[in-house]
Amino acid sequence: MDNRNDENLKELLENFFGPGQTQMYLDDIEKGEQILREHPAPEPDDMLIANIKAQIALSALPRRTSIIRRVEYKVAAVAAALIIITAISTNWFEKSIDVEPKSGMQVASVFPWESYDIDALHSEVEQIEDELMDIESGRENLDSNNDISEMEMELILIAGDFWKG
Amino acid sequence: MKSAENMAKSDDLALIINGCRKGDARCFSQLVDMYAGRCYSYFYRLTGNNDISDELLSELFVKLVEKITSYKGGSFESWMFKIATNIFHDFLRSKQRRQKLLDARKERLESEFTELKKTNDEQIDRLQIQLKRLDTDTRELIMLRFYSQLSFKEIAQMRSEPIGTTLAKLHRGLKKLREFMGE
Repeated sequence: MDNRNDENLKELLENFFGPGQTQMYLDDIEKGEQILREHPAPEPDDMLIANIKAQIALSALPRRTSIIRRVEYKVAAVAAALIIITAISTNWFEKSIDVEPKSGMQVASVFPWESYDIDALHSEVEQIEDELMDIESGRENLDSNNDISEMEMELILIAGDFWKG
Repeated sequence: MKSAENMAKSDDLALIINGCRKGDARCFSQLVDMYAGRCYSYFYRLTGNNDISDELLSELFVKLVEKITSYKGGSFESWMFKIATNIFHDFLRSKQRRQKLLDARKERLESEFTELKKTNDEQIDRLQIQLKRLDTDTRELIMLRFYSQLSFKEIAQMRSEPIGTTLAKLHRGLKKLREFMGE
């Protein structure tokens, strides 16, 4: 980093004003800055600092939530891809060893349901479809109590961490 | 405030900035501890008013939160003080607009304005009075150099002017200030 502590002011002044005037320029600058050091400006109020930190904590929260949400979507996509790949590969493997697949057996080997209750399976599939529709349409239970309480819990946790420092 | 500044080695600062980019409020909180004092003093010496400095400092950190992902490395202080300078310029523009409004409605606002001026005058110190005698650009340059701790090269780049011009202006400004202060 190229801050003022690393710069050679004498050399810089010599380049611009010649060696004869360098010392005078250096002294003027030093004495001028000495006045500023002797008259320190007021420091910000503790309450102001606390307010700024609280404001930052609130404005940083949506970004953090959206990052978590993006990660959740990615994990869900990867999980879905894995299920599809497993289903396809199982199907292919069973065909390749020439085993006659029996109706219903393939589904049981891929999906973890214990029973063969078709109605329950249908309602499960419908529920997942509804949830996917909600996510795609952006509704995603924005007004549900669950999300609000989750958001509140997250705020409380962040506020707790923040005041702990 | 100063001890916090000294502790902030460039590696630590890089870690803190990385945390800020991920939206970690604790990292932003560390940035506030490190820079609030210097930035507040910078605003105070330019405006001479505590309330305005409070507002500008809050605005600066809100902007830092918004813009932190656009920080592409290099001197963080240079980047931050560039934002601080822009905030001050915006304030000056709005002050000019307010002044026009004030002129138009002088009678109505006269009592309010007198009250505000009185409060400000009570708070300012001797240096602040003399600083007002310098033109805004020179005052801004002196404060930028003193509080940002940037090199002349960085300041000249920030102000888009040749380094020799920056050096000459600062020298002239500080010399005048010494005369005003009677030293």
